Amino acid sequence: MDERLRRLRAADRISAPTVIKALLPTMIRQRGDRVLGDDQALTAGFGRTAQQQALAVLGVDRGHDLATRRQKNGGALTVAGYRTALRVVNHAEKFGMPVISLINMPGADASPKSERYGQSQAIADLIAAMGQLTVPNLVVFLGEGHSGGALAFANANVMMMLDDSLFNVASPEAVAAILHGQQTVSDAIDLLPMTADQLKKRGLADDVIDHTRPDLVALLCQQILTRVTDLQGLSGTALIAQREAKFQTFMDWWPVQ
Amino acid sequence: MSHYPVAGTWTSCPACGRHVHQSQWGRWQQCPYCHYWRRLPAVDRITQLVDPGSFTALTTTVQSQNRLDFPNYDEKLRQAKLKTAQTEAVITGQATFAKWPAIVIVMDSYFMMGTLNTSVTRLIIAAMQQARKQKLPVIIVTASGGARMQEGLYALVGMNLILAEVARLAAAKLPLITVLTDPTMGGVSASFAFKGDVVIAEAGATIGFAGARVIQQTMPTTLPADFQSAASLLAHGQLDAVVLRPELRAYLSQVLATYQLSGGPTHG
Repeated sequence: MDERLRRLRAADRISAPTVIKALLPTMIRQRGDRVLGDDQALTAGFGRTAQQQALAVLGVDRGHDLATRRQKNGGALTVAGYRTALRVVNHAEKFGMPVISLINMPGADASPKSERYGQSQAIADLIAAMGQLTVPNLVVFLGEGHSGGALAFANANVMMMLDDSLFNVASPEAVAAILHGQQTVSDAIDLLPMTADQLKKRGLADDVIDHTRPDLVALLCQQILTRVTDLQGLSGTALIAQREAKFQTFMDWWPVQ
Repeated sequence: MSHYPVAGTWTSCPACGRHVHQSQWGRWQQCPYCHYWRRLPAVDRITQLVDPGSFTALTTTVQSQNRLDFPNYDEKLRQAKLKTAQTEAVITGQATFAKWPAIVIVMDSYFMMGTLNTSVTRLIIAAMQQARKQKLPVIIVTASGGARMQEGLYALVGMNLILAEVARLAAAKLPLITVLTDPTMGGVSASFAFKGDVVIAEAGATIGFAGARVIQQTMPTTLPADFQSAASLLAHGQLDAVVLRPELRAYLSQVLATYQLSGGPTHG
């Protein structure tokens, strides 16, 4: 496997539950979508930081060993996961809590069950709800995130990325596949802008953080709080507008004619 | 070579493989042997759906560019334009259905599999804005493989940008009717396709997020024959109706007649 991808998918990779634990000393877990079940890949709930800031969190991770990877479906969120996230988001909106997403996930859960229960609608509903939030939301790419499933979390006011993380329309493997093997998976990473540096340059990523820092977890928590404090100065309407403008400005780089 | 038929007279059915004569496909483009509904180019779809002569196109032309220098993208665009005589994978306009006016957005699977890119996103958003300006309902006929990979994240963000526009349409209390046709997959399926107030599918359409081939590569499994078919989605409660091609026009007219919105200038 490509060295960059191996690192993102490694067992000792910094994971969402680790950051959430540091960020929220007290946390009320929210589990299950009340219809289909509970998705183990999602660590979600709300709590208060050491500074007493109330936050809602959505963490997606792949698991760190064979057993947890199986439980978590390798981080491929199922319909229950998206629906649970939607419940957490609606709750955060109701009580005015900023929403922090921390993700490291492969593409979609390609399974008959996810299709049967409406994976498309579940993703669309979460993208739409994130877009219309009147509280600040923020996404942190701890590893990789691709396609609509990652966009559901990335439709946010602020995008933070670890310097070696990736965000793309499809996984590098999928990009290589549509080129019928003319390019290797490693080459595919450089074919489209998906690295943190590229996305920073193009105005999509706001903060790029060095993943080798020894104080990485503390630094992430600090940066999340700084960003949240900044965003709390904006009204609900302004937050919705800022979010849309961010993606509109990004797309406007592509010429109309 | 006069004993050879004129090219294009006979085509093999994509579903059953039998050779079908031009005249046999008929007005509704259905295979006489296996009853497969052939995918329709956007122009033909519009002709079948709206009142004759009522369609006025909104935006004239766009010129998609290969801004990221993705391999073979220029060539693919060139071929798609040749094949469809369209400049992009969507046609937008205003038309009437049994006299009821609406903004229509029709995707074209013959243009790079109807994929969503920056141009298609802009055209769809512009059409929805027009609907708000004129207080008209919106009908979207989807036919798409999802986001266009050659434009990377620039294509993907079309999903949330269109959904932001859908939210404004909803706030203006204008109906959105989505008609899912073959195929409706990926980023189109996971954004506006299922966001209609009324969501219907054309009979025979394949609708889903991840395609059958991708699923089978991920997990060795036998998929049911009706996997991701319009009929199975209806049975699983994901659609309001599955409508046969010849009946779509009457169905949409009835939906519009029920909402009773004749449009009109916006005030204030």
